[in-house]
Formats: sequence, C-alpha cells, structure tokens
Amino acid sequence: MKAKDLMIPVQDYLKPDDKLKDAVNLLRTARRGEERIGVKGLPVLDESGKLVGMLSMRDILKAVHPAYMDLMNVGGFTWEGMLEEMAKKIADKKVFTLMTRDVMTVKEDAPLMDAVDYMIRKNIKRLPVVDKTGKVVGMIYERDIFFAIVKTMLKENTGGVK
Amino acid sequence: MTQEVAATSQVVMGMPFWIATAIFLLAYGLIVSEKIHKTIVAIFGAALMIVLKIVTQEDAFNSLELGIDWNVIFLLVSMMIIINIMKPTGVFEYIAIKSAKVAKGKPFMIMAIFSVVTAVVSAFLDNVTTVLLIAPVTLLICQALELDVVPFLITESLASNIGGTATLIGDPPNIMIASKAQLDFMAFVYHLTPVIILVLIAYVISIKFIFGKKMHVREELRQRVMAMNENEAIKDPVLLKKSLVVLAVTITGFVFHGMLHFEPATIALFGAGLLLLVSGTKEPHHILAEAEWATLFFFMGLFMIIGGVVKVGLIKWMSIKVLEVTQGNLLGTSMIVMWFSAFASAFIDNIPYVATMNPLIIDMAKQLWPNFSGIQLLHHPDLMPMWWSLALGACLGGNGTAIGASANVIVVGMAEKMGRPISFKKFMLYGMPLMIESVIICTAYVWLRYYVLKI
Repeated sequence: MKAKDLMIPVQDYLKPDDKLKDAVNLLRTARRGEERIGVKGLPVLDESGKLVGMLSMRDILKAVHPAYMDLMNVGGFTWEGMLEEMAKKIADKKVFTLMTRDVMTVKEDAPLMDAVDYMIRKNIKRLPVVDKTGKVVGMIYERDIFFAIVKTMLKENTGGVK
Repeated sequence: MTQEVAATSQVVMGMPFWIATAIFLLAYGLIVSEKIHKTIVAIFGAALMIVLKIVTQEDAFNSLELGIDWNVIFLLVSMMIIINIMKPTGVFEYIAIKSAKVAKGKPFMIMAIFSVVTAVVSAFLDNVTTVLLIAPVTLLICQALELDVVPFLITESLASNIGGTATLIGDPPNIMIASKAQLDFMAFVYHLTPVIILVLIAYVISIKFIFGKKMHVREELRQRVMAMNENEAIKDPVLLKKSLVVLAVTITGFVFHGMLHFEPATIALFGAGLLLLVSGTKEPHHILAEAEWATLFFFMGLFMIIGGVVKVGLIKWMSIKVLEVTQGNLLGTSMIVMWFSAFASAFIDNIPYVATMNPLIIDMAKQLWPNFSGIQLLHHPDLMPMWWSLALGACLGGNGTAIGASANVIVVGMAEKMGRPISFKKFMLYGMPLMIESVIICTAYVWLRYYVLKI
C-alpha cells in the first residue's frame, strides 16, 4: 500500500496569519472523513498552498503552559484561573508564532512503511502527504495505519486497494 | 626610574613575537565579533600557539606561568558538580518562594529581597547558575502578581554580578586573579566584601527610586503568592540535607584554605568528591556531562593563547607602555585599571580581559620592583590595591550592558523567550548608571582605604 491509498484528502487547513481563536475552532470542527468531528492537528499552508507548518492540540497546550515552568525544577506552583487567564492572553496570537515549523512529510507514492518510520522516529501521530510539486494533498493518521495493520493481521485484506 | 627599567628589559620583537601577537589579536577579534563560537576560537588559537612553536606542549599543559591554570579549571568544574547535584533538590525554588512570602507579596519588597538573595547566592555560586535558578521563580511570581517581569529580571542580573564580586569563588575574574596573585579566600572577604556590601546597599536604594513607585498589586493577587507552599518545592529532603552539609564543609574549607595551605581548587574538589560519594549517585555521567564544558574549554584555550603572548614578551611590552603612561603613579594606575576594566568589561567578555590583565600586572610589578620575586612581588603592599581594582572593575563593569556579563546575556535571552524582549538600549539605560555608581563607590573605597588610611 502506498501513502496515497490511506491518506485522507486535505479539506481543512490553516493559514499562517490566522488568529489562534479561529484556528482552535477549526481544529474542533474540522472534517475527518465524512464527519465534522474535529482533528488533533492541521497543516498550515501559505497562499501558494505550500506547507509551512503544523498546528496540533499539543501546540495549543504548550501555548498556555508558561515557558518558565519548563525551566523550574519543580512544578505545582499554579493557581485557580491561571489556565483561563493564559488562554485569553493567547487568543489573538497568530498561528505562525506557535505552529511546529519543522514538519516531516511523506510523498504520495511512498510505501506506507515510510510513514510508520517517520512516525516512530519523530514521535508524531499525523503526517502530511505531498505530491511531486510539494503541494499537500492529504493527511495520514496513526489511527488509519493501525487499522490497515489490523486488517492485514485478520486477513481481511482482499489483496487490492481498499 | 621607569624609563631606566624599561630600557634594560627591552622586548625582542622577532618572528615569534609577531606570530603570537597575530594569533592573539585575531582570536580576540573573533571572540568579540561572535562570528565563531568563542570556545572554538580559543581551542584553535591554543592549538596554533603550540603547532607554530610559540609555546611547547609542556608549557601549555603544565607550566604555571605559560599554560592552563588548573587551579581555575578544577575550582570551576568542582563547583559545577556540587550545584548540579543540588539543583534537583528544589532548594533554590524554595528560597525564592519563601523570599516572596517574606516580602508579603509586595512588589518592591520582592524586588529588594530577590536582589539581595541573588547577590548572596552569587557570592558562593556561579552567577549564571544563580540567575538560571531564580529567574523562573521570578517569572512565576510576576505572573501571579500581574507585574512586568523585566525590571525584576534586570535587577536580579545586576545584583548577581555585584554579589559575585564579593568573594574569591563568586565570579571567574576573582578566581583567576586569586590563582595568579596567590590570594586566599579570606583576603577577598577582607578586602572586597566590605565594599560590595556598601555597593549593594546603594544599589537597593537606587532601584527603590527607579522602580519602587511604579509597582502596585491588588490584594487578591498577593493572596496567590501567600497561598503558595514553599515546602512543596523540596523534592529530595535527604539529598538536600547532605548537600547543605557538604556545602557548609566546602565553604568552611575555603575560609581556612590559606591557613591549611591548600589551594581553593583542592577544597572544591574535595567538596565535589564528597558530595558525589554521599549523594549515592550511581551513574555520575549526567552530572559530569552537565558541567559547562564549553566555558571550561574556553578557559583552557585562553590560558594557552595568553601563555603564547606572555612568552614572546607582548604582555611585558604592554606593561612597559602602561607604566610610561602612568609614570609609576600607583594611585593613578589603580584608578585607571579600575575604570578601564569596568568599561572594557561592559563591552567585552571579562574572562579574556582578566586573563590578559593578570600577567600584565605581574609584568608591571616586575618593572617596578625588579629586586622582588615570588610571593613578595605578587603581594607587594603597593601592588595589592591594583589586584582589588582589577577585580572590582572587571566584575562590576559587566553590569554596564546586556552583553557585559554572562548573567545579563542569560536574562535577556530568557526575557525574549517569554515574549518580553529587553533591548540593548533598555538594559544599558538601567545597567550603565548603576554600574557607574558602583564603580564610584569602589573608587572612593580604594582611594580611602589603601592610599589615605593605608589599612
């Protein structure tokens, strides 16, 4: 199986200048296959459709987590209402300030094992799939690879593409 | 007299002289330009000094006069080991949160207490480490109180450099001076600590005028700080007790090292070894790996480069020139050393600066008192104020700009990461006047103590 056989075509994406509050709304309501149930990460594309980053739920959590907490040897010094305070503070920030810039991609013709390899090496759960020109055409999710594996194990795979 | 001495000890400016001078100038130029990492410059420069036969490897590795000052290296690395073992205990966070509560969450009181705590801790630990430990808690407290963190960060880094000046182990320039001039821990306590206490008092009063009036905090926000339980910061009480005992033993060792005829590095090495042993560290790899190896190799490289220019006589030539300018006026020389060091350290790294000044002052002493040698020369009563002026100028001068001291660089970097960048100009606006104030106090002190009262 190739990457393009398993990918979900990109329907929703973010732009670098989107505000965070709009971005999280899209994350919440993004189309996943047929349903609008939200996704855990979206690609960020510039005007020409070029991939410039990814924004995930984890990035949003990182954004409300003050950087000084990473620098302290101890945690636990927080207060009621702190999360809400931080969330309000970052609502108008632009996507490009918080997105992950160093994004791994997989080519649409690449064997599926490539995607698995990247996911394990970089500890990521979703991978943008690009065509020959570098344009993002879809996303591969950890979950879908898992289902492909399950299918093979249970010998439900009829041999062809799904 | 100076002229006469200079004439009898002319420097031979042959090929080695110019090669060594070129390596030295090029290396220092590159270090200042920051085009290449300073440690890489120092290592390569040092290697060139040996490869081009300016110094032998024996000189570079084993000579006290021309090579690596292992006293400095082992003192630094041992203190780094002690701190790296202590860090995870949470003791520094404990002290900081306790301080904020003692200040009852009042902004200026927090600023003042944090500054004094930073200064005291910096007197015994490396300034950068101190700032790295206290700054995150400062950010936490400022966020809880909804205060601008920038004034707090600036005042802490300045206080850290002031406090570091107070003792032999507080700041690298003092460690280097102590080793070259063979001065002991108590000499620093006796000569520098008093003036640093004065400087610190003046500093706290000054920041009260600069920042004191602008800061107000609502009662409910103060409650956030008062509600924090500093005891939660202590993650490993057993290791903490062991660490504090070893730290106390080590500091006691420093106090008596002169009497016991041990070098400071021996005391520090003993402390580090003892703490490694009693802490129950199974695998020392990560504790050793966390030592600031880039800084340590920077020192080693610099010592070898300086060894080269000492050997070919460049430093001696420079000392003759300095004496020509000051015409043997020792008070004048002291004052020039202090103020020149202060402004030089504000803009360039004070480590290479002091590494150069140490042999220069020794050469100067050789010109002035050709009949003296060894400890009698190094501790000549008329030379002593020069060492103190160098230490005060080089350490306090770092406060002048954002790049003057490593602690400042760290704080500026951290502020930027938090989305509150401090511009070079903004730092200087506070740092430079406060630095000049501190050096004026030191000028009065050195003049009064060593040239008027002569005590």
